[in-house]
Amino acid sequence: MLYLELFLQGLLQGSIYALIAVGLTLVYGLLRILHVAHAGLYTLGGYFGVLVYNSSGSLMLSGVVAMFGVGILGVIIYRLCYEAILDQPPFVPLIASIGLFIAMEELYRILFGSYGISYANPPLQQMLPLGGMYLREGEWVTILVSIILIGGLAWLSSHTRLGLAWRATVTDPQMAESFGIDPIRVRYFNFFIGSALAGTAGMIVGILNNLVEPTMGSVPSYKALAIIVLGGLGSVRGTLVAALALGVVESFGTIYLGNVLNRDAIAFVFLILVLMVRPQGMFRGI
Amino acid sequence: MKLKNILSLIPALSMFFGFAWADTVKVGFNVPLTGFAAADGESALNGAKLAVKQANATGGINGKQIELVIYDDQASPKEAVPIANRLIEKDGVKVAVSGSYSGSTRAAAGVFQAAGIPYISAFAIHPGITQAGKYIFRTSFMGDVQGRAGALLIGQTMQRKRVVVITLKNDFGKSLAAGFKAEAANFGIEIINEYEYSIRDRQFGSIVAKVRADKPDAIYASGYFFTAGPLVNQLRSGGVAVPVIGQEGYDSEQFIKIAGAASEGVIITTSLDRDSNSPETRSFITEYEKLTGNKVDMVAASGHTALNVVVTALRKAGTRNPEAIRNAIAQTQLTAATGHISFNALGEVRKNVQVQIVRNGDWHYHSEIRDQTLLAPPES
Repeated sequence: MLYLELFLQGLLQGSIYALIAVGLTLVYGLLRILHVAHAGLYTLGGYFGVLVYNSSGSLMLSGVVAMFGVGILGVIIYRLCYEAILDQPPFVPLIASIGLFIAMEELYRILFGSYGISYANPPLQQMLPLGGMYLREGEWVTILVSIILIGGLAWLSSHTRLGLAWRATVTDPQMAESFGIDPIRVRYFNFFIGSALAGTAGMIVGILNNLVEPTMGSVPSYKALAIIVLGGLGSVRGTLVAALALGVVESFGTIYLGNVLNRDAIAFVFLILVLMVRPQGMFRGI
Repeated sequence: MKLKNILSLIPALSMFFGFAWADTVKVGFNVPLTGFAAADGESALNGAKLAVKQANATGGINGKQIELVIYDDQASPKEAVPIANRLIEKDGVKVAVSGSYSGSTRAAAGVFQAAGIPYISAFAIHPGITQAGKYIFRTSFMGDVQGRAGALLIGQTMQRKRVVVITLKNDFGKSLAAGFKAEAANFGIEIINEYEYSIRDRQFGSIVAKVRADKPDAIYASGYFFTAGPLVNQLRSGGVAVPVIGQEGYDSEQFIKIAGAASEGVIITTSLDRDSNSPETRSFITEYEKLTGNKVDMVAASGHTALNVVVTALRKAGTRNPEAIRNAIAQTQLTAATGHISFNALGEVRKNVQVQIVRNGDWHYHSEIRDQTLLAPPES
């Protein structure tokens, strides 16, 4: 039973990683940019969630603001920061992205204070044992939201014209453009979806920890990179599998290897081991 | 030629300004104001500023105002070393205080010791800090000392014997755990399991699941408010109801905000007694809240205490000779916000450990540990 519970805890952590890493992999797949500032958008989702909830008391409203607000900001970041340097070598947007991320962290500290913000009446904290599994309401909601959002994304990309246009642009941008697909719109769409997922993840983590801090993006900033490498850069399916696998490995590792390695070290040992066997990552393609 | 002329002016100008500044007595202060430790840094700085303000209002140092020379060290050793050099060489401070964590304080301590400038650690707890040499002091408890106090609290005061230890994997958590484990058996405590986590962890689901299966009588968990808040919250909502015993890292109203109702009944060892009747502690609590609008915490009280030790020593020494200042610090007998301060031969503070408990959403007096044999810091 304990093993099952640790496994479920791992899936829970993994689904949070998945929400964050999918956006990163979408951006990499389309533009070949390692978008480190993505983790700054994740933090912003946490702030939107806690600020709107504390002033309105509506979980729904704060969820909508976290998702759409962060989604729109993601598009703005693309427009203002990346668009101008797309034709530069890859390290230029990477450096811009790291700089932007650090600036965002310090901006949150200046705007919202260094102590972090907590929910005044933390929602979804009650224990809800289902099938012998002790998870809080918020943790069940996390799993549910991840399934809905990522399932929705899969449906969007395989069943709509927008999804078709997006996949075509990833595969061959010039060919897609010659068929009348507007690459700019696809990029906006891409950043919007990816950022909205990260914003949602930030809000969820803010509720689970009951704490939103300026530096809460620091772990996702590098762990999400590890996940997309593990999943085979640019592959959404690979990223999902890698995120869940990493969550489970960390969950067991924290208990049984915790005295030797900490959670981050376990994650990177796992990354190295997988890359030794499969240098191309777990999956290739979209 | 012109450039050379301008360059030659620089030493002259700096000498001029140097004289202009000589009207104040400078005290160096390294503190994390950005990065992950910025919250504690803000408290430490506010505590220190309050002490300086109070000292300046009561005549400064023999009529001269005290100036706090502040640098942001991001709680990072690689920032702390150049800052220490700068404080000594550029700013010319004759005494300095660390309002930072163990890593950076330890790194800076070596520099101050080599330069023969007295340096006080306000709340960094690693044993290596004072071992740097005779110019280094500490006004808070060493981790080991507080860990031993935790063992007494759990095994003797609370009579809990089956304990799970959850350790924050850094200097702070490690030295607490070392002290706790060294004394645990003497108080009849059996440590049934130990888990470690990193300072960036906020999700403890798997540890909670395992602790529930371990069925302990009590949990000894080290951490700061930003890790302990989520941990305690998750333990309680995960159905673990046994007492949680923490340390001074929890000691902040932020802990109560984060953990919410789960914080009720959490007990910690610390150096600030909020229910104290001592006029020094009471005035610190009122003045700090008036100055910052925040409630007091251990870090602010420690920053305040360390600066007060410096002020008292500077007044007593009456000179800017670092050796005289060091000797004055070594002979400190001062009642500060965190209790009576005096130092042993190693520069470690001797004082009682305060035990606080969360009741009705606030920290309150639980007990006091006065066993000076148990609490005695090492002499060398």
